[in-house]
Amino acid sequence: MSASRMVPAIVGVLVAAGLLTTVTLGVRSALASAERRLKDPNAAKPKVAVADHAEEKYCTPRFKQVLERVLHSCGLLEANSRRGCKPADVKSFASINDDDFNELFLPLKHRGAVLKFETGKHELDESAKKLLAERWDARRGARYFFVVGRASSVGDTAKNRALSHRRANSVQFFIKENRKEPDLEKKIGLLWLGEEFAQLPKEFCEWPNSSPSEKCNQDSINRSAFVSWVDCRL
Amino acid sequence: MFGANSRIPFGLGAIGSALGLWFGWASTSDYAAHLDRQLHDLHCSYVPGAAATSEAEACRAALYSPYSALLKDQYWGGVPISLFAVGAFAFILGFALYLAFAGGRAPKKAVVFFGLVGLTPLLVSGVMFFISLTKLGTFCKTCVGIYVGSFVLALGALLGFMTLRGSGATGPTGTIPGTPYDPPADAPRGRPAMSLLFPLAWLAALGIWTATPAYIYTTAIPNHRAHLDKCGKLNKPKDEKNSLLKVAASRAVQPVTFFEDPLCPTCKAFHDRLVGEGIFPKLDVTLVMFPLDSECNWMLDHSMHPGACTVAKAVLCGDTRALSVLEWSFENQEELTAAGKAGKSSLVAAIERRWGADMVACIDKKETEVRLNNHLHYATDNAIPVSTPQMFIGTQRVCEEDTDIGLVYTIAQLAPQVMK
Repeated sequence: MSASRMVPAIVGVLVAAGLLTTVTLGVRSALASAERRLKDPNAAKPKVAVADHAEEKYCTPRFKQVLERVLHSCGLLEANSRRGCKPADVKSFASINDDDFNELFLPLKHRGAVLKFETGKHELDESAKKLLAERWDARRGARYFFVVGRASSVGDTAKNRALSHRRANSVQFFIKENRKEPDLEKKIGLLWLGEEFAQLPKEFCEWPNSSPSEKCNQDSINRSAFVSWVDCRL
Repeated sequence: MFGANSRIPFGLGAIGSALGLWFGWASTSDYAAHLDRQLHDLHCSYVPGAAATSEAEACRAALYSPYSALLKDQYWGGVPISLFAVGAFAFILGFALYLAFAGGRAPKKAVVFFGLVGLTPLLVSGVMFFISLTKLGTFCKTCVGIYVGSFVLALGALLGFMTLRGSGATGPTGTIPGTPYDPPADAPRGRPAMSLLFPLAWLAALGIWTATPAYIYTTAIPNHRAHLDKCGKLNKPKDEKNSLLKVAASRAVQPVTFFEDPLCPTCKAFHDRLVGEGIFPKLDVTLVMFPLDSECNWMLDHSMHPGACTVAKAVLCGDTRALSVLEWSFENQEELTAAGKAGKSSLVAAIERRWGADMVACIDKKETEVRLNNHLHYATDNAIPVSTPQMFIGTQRVCEEDTDIGLVYTIAQLAPQVMK
């Protein structure tokens, strides 16, 4: 057989072998390149936000400072510590005067509500319960729920302090009984101010409250517990 | 049609093989590029040599499909099926060129071998075409390139058969097998005879050519095992408010948690992949609704999927039918997304048409809103990334990079009982 007759077979073998070699080298090269990029990625991973609680515009540094002090001092942030803050605590820990304290809560006008009580009473009436349940269920992304019990200036200061404490507790008990949630203690910030600190001015009568049809004055607005979710991260 | 000495059928076969080889390589290189766990553009064009593009949804669907690779549970991404095609086309191209150059001097057995082998890629392409049509519902252009190459090759193979008609003369006995018969100058021209061992040897060679690139691939594939468990965990996995949805099939063997948005296309694709790979029925699923819609999700300043909160509530209201509602929302995602953009009433109407007025009443309930809020707080408590879908095997988060071509390998590594 002449050599020329072998040429087609040689061409076929060379092409097939050449292609196999090329493919094999190409595969190795592609995988080696992928491995290099895997070990040393040149494209930085896009930063993805992490799920967290809400942070609304009213969470100013001043607001958060007071919030943090109160939460720390009232036992919300530490486990197994005492629960709640009495007027003297708030005065000393918040380091803020009455008006400034109330002003901080102004942005919560439509987020929170004022639960009103009968004179000398600490039991929630039906409309207060309904409003409290509504506000509690409208949590959205909030982390903390504030309950600020108060009493009017009528009567004995010590008794009013105790009354405002019972009012704040009534709110907390209602939530505990009606919303079986774990870790409620870590959510609810409980303060009672009696008549001694941060009495609400009459303007708060315009806030959502549990007895809107009743006459509202400085005394009645302070026979109350202010409740609100607070959409701030600490 | 073609004379006994015609080279055209084999030239056609060579062209078909070259096309198949080219498109097969494009598909393989796309696959290999993804082994760095990053997203890449794909070669997705009917034009050989066209640049990679991000507009390649059909090719991406094919790439991520269960049919794109073999041994997926053993290698991250598996061994791309196109790699076998590349090896086979390389061999057939060489063989076609041999026949084209040899013309009428090629042994009859070689022509018959080419005729048979040349039809094989078309058969495989037919199977893949059927899968694309029935399972994927879309055709990847690169795959179509391989189908066309296979068709042209098969045409060349059939026409090659036809050159045998009327070329019955073979070389005398005693011709050295495999060597073209060199007839005397005055003898009638014909195809030389050869031993049957030659077709067997060619078949073995075809096997070697087909398997070698795949073998090399398996020896050089990067090790991804170390990357699988580097994407975080559920810090507070317990569902303390008993709000999350439970979906467990009878064959469920592995607890998993999914964070899903019913209007998120990636969630739909991921769900389809889990079902397609046969993984989903083996999962004991805890479903957390995580709609990327600012109507209920405070973590976003604008809605990525308007209406997703409403549909998520529908899933919650589905209760024991929650999975059916979720799958319905995936199947009708385009329509529901359009309805969500049009406004809540359009969306609610679409839900009512399928699930009735009771479902709508449930969606509007305060309890449903609170329950959805609890789902979002579960995400917050666990500080998960604000993205969907997310899968946790037990408490181990599956990296996003492992939810497409590396999914089966990842499941096999992190939950081997699922793959048994």
